[in-house]
Amino acid sequence: MTDIKFEKEQQVVDQLVNTFQNLSGKVKRERRIEVSVSKKLIPSVLSYVKDQLGFTHMSHMSCVDWLEDEHFELIYILWSPELKVQLLIKTLINRENPSIENVDMIWGQLNTYQREIREMFGIQFTGMIGKEEFILEDWDEMPPMRRDFDTAEFIKEAYFERPGRDGAKNVRDEIADRSGEEIPELAKKYSRD
Amino acid sequence: MPNDKKSQKIVDIIQNAARKHSLFVLAYGTGCGAIEIPPTMTSKYDAERFGIRGMATPRQADVLLVTGYLATKTLKRVIRAYEQMQDPKYVIGFGSCTINGGMYWDSYNTIKLLDKYIPVDVYINGCMPRPEAVIDGFIELQGLIKDGKANGAEKYKENLDWYRANQKKVIKNWNMPDYNW
Repeated sequence: MTDIKFEKEQQVVDQLVNTFQNLSGKVKRERRIEVSVSKKLIPSVLSYVKDQLGFTHMSHMSCVDWLEDEHFELIYILWSPELKVQLLIKTLINRENPSIENVDMIWGQLNTYQREIREMFGIQFTGMIGKEEFILEDWDEMPPMRRDFDTAEFIKEAYFERPGRDGAKNVRDEIADRSGEEIPELAKKYSRD
Repeated sequence: MPNDKKSQKIVDIIQNAARKHSLFVLAYGTGCGAIEIPPTMTSKYDAERFGIRGMATPRQADVLLVTGYLATKTLKRVIRAYEQMQDPKYVIGFGSCTINGGMYWDSYNTIKLLDKYIPVDVYINGCMPRPEAVIDGFIELQGLIKDGKANGAEKYKENLDWYRANQKKVIKNWNMPDYNW
């Protein structure tokens, strides 16, 4: 693989690194760039790439809960129709009282994504206008997509369960026993205990 | 008409036979089950030869067909639709999601047992049941109606407090009108 292949991608990265301080970016592969910025820079980086670099299409916005590292990672996924390059802008937010600037004035559809992330992860977007409730109705527990939300414990309390699931057999072991075969060592980790 | 037990029995038999052959279905198309309704209703399987046909509103329908998983949000609408239906009314739980949660058994937002919230007369197993199975379920229901055993609505009226308690456990903001049947 030569660097010449990623010429247009490298150009975008260079332009971004030269414009913003504390911005690290790299070409992930052909037609994909990853950029990490601090959360304060997000509004200016987003408007810069939209107006100056031609990343006019907002594909998606997603969130990852890094429970062990105690932060959330927000990812804005953009697409440039001219360059045919996908740009991922990542930023980290502290898990304690998570909040970030609202940017739905840059792309209107961000409002929907932000409302979903607010409901599913409990991240506050300062200055966003939109009803508190999005998909869930009357939800007063912890935001359900957070990794420390114990779904198994929650459904045990909230819902009835039809008896019978507890006695479910370990299918893999049952079949191996029946046919007198032995489960190979490499497959044992997939067995139920 | 003499009001004694014997003649009441004859009236019941005629009534049940009539009800059995005119099931107006309100298909509550949640989940993936709604896609099995069109082939059941249209020419290939033609459910209308059993007197089964779709109906637009709950107040005109006899059968509530719940065709899949129910989120707590949807359950609220289902209960509201069910309570608006006029007697006689029956419920068919359709697919394994209504029976034990199906593939959503570990979801934080879907109910696992439909019959704890509204009385279910017939369950149709499958994920999803084919139109043959759906028609089989309807014939099962017709048999129950003929024998006078499809009494889910009466069960609901008798144990309303128990059903309400279960419903309010998952629907926290209970702001629905009370329908008296």
